Amino acid sequence: MAEVTHEIAEHTHDDHAHSDTVVVLGREITVNGGIYTVVFGALGILTILEVLFAEVLNSMIAGAPDAGFLAAIKSFVLLGLAIVKSSLVIWFYMHLKDDNKILAVVFILPLLIAALSVMFVLSIPPTGYGV
Amino acid sequence: MAEVTADHIHAVAHDDHGHDDHGHMTVEENNENMKLGMWLYLASEIVIFSIMIVGYIVFRVNEPEVVSEVHHTLGVGLVTINTFILLASSYFMVMGLRAMQKGDRQGMLRWIGATALGGIIFVGGQYIEYSELAHLGITMGYDSATTWSTFGMRFYAPTAFHGAHVIVGVIWALIIMKRGSEGRYDNNPIGIEMFGLYWHFVDIVWIMLFTLIYLV
Repeated sequence: MAEVTHEIAEHTHDDHAHSDTVVVLGREITVNGGIYTVVFGALGILTILEVLFAEVLNSMIAGAPDAGFLAAIKSFVLLGLAIVKSSLVIWFYMHLKDDNKILAVVFILPLLIAALSVMFVLSIPPTGYGV
Repeated sequence: MAEVTADHIHAVAHDDHGHDDHGHMTVEENNENMKLGMWLYLASEIVIFSIMIVGYIVFRVNEPEVVSEVHHTLGVGLVTINTFILLASSYFMVMGLRAMQKGDRQGMLRWIGATALGGIIFVGGQYIEYSELAHLGITMGYDSATTWSTFGMRFYAPTAFHGAHVIVGVIWALIIMKRGSEGRYDNNPIGIEMFGLYWHFVDIVWIMLFTLIYLV
């Protein structure tokens, strides 16, 4: 019966997901947990970078003549890093990389609608919603 | 669960209609349907969280001084640690599924147990943070004497709703452990995979909330 478990697993996920050896930036790495551990490391490093970047930019923004520009740069970079982190989780941990691509459509469609809604709401001047 | 064999899976794979001789769904078909159902559920969750996030962003754009003041007072130390814990719990989760797919039930129980523990610590950290905020007068209610009170509703709605999801996830993890210890996932770990999709989604929501609310 254990063979059946493996049979099902093989039908749903590629073998490399269970391998401890992965290729990262052209180099072969062997680590317990394979790609999952590598992704966890990447998530940790990106989070540290996020926090450091935010702290550095905050200290630069305070009293700077071009504070608006720096704040825009900060938002853009931080949101970019958050999207990269989320994509790593979706792609590897949620196995969208190996699963039926219709699941990606199911997930991405509401995300696009939400993103468009955010842009629409933000385009309304503050007086539009009585703030 | 009906007895499933490798021969059975191979036999139905060659069936033109994708069903077995009795018209029943195969294990694979059932698993795919369950996954689609879970992704549809997560899509609906995106809409709910988006509404709350939009509410916060609008406030953030129009009241930058209030948000900066709260950021400066609270700092990001505690919430960064909490974020690491949730990221780690997501890693534990996927390692638990991996262990079960390799037939290692005890390994799965250890990893899922660590996932639940991560969730509990995260909620504990959130409780500490809320206590600090309440001490500063930032609550759900509106108080015209302090400008910070307007921040409260926009902050608590998404973060507390997320916290409720973590609590549900912890309970789900404990159920998975109980059922897993009884051998319920030995033949088909789809139940663990369903929980994994939910837990990783909760992690993704936090990745976005952490950036939008605490860093931007």
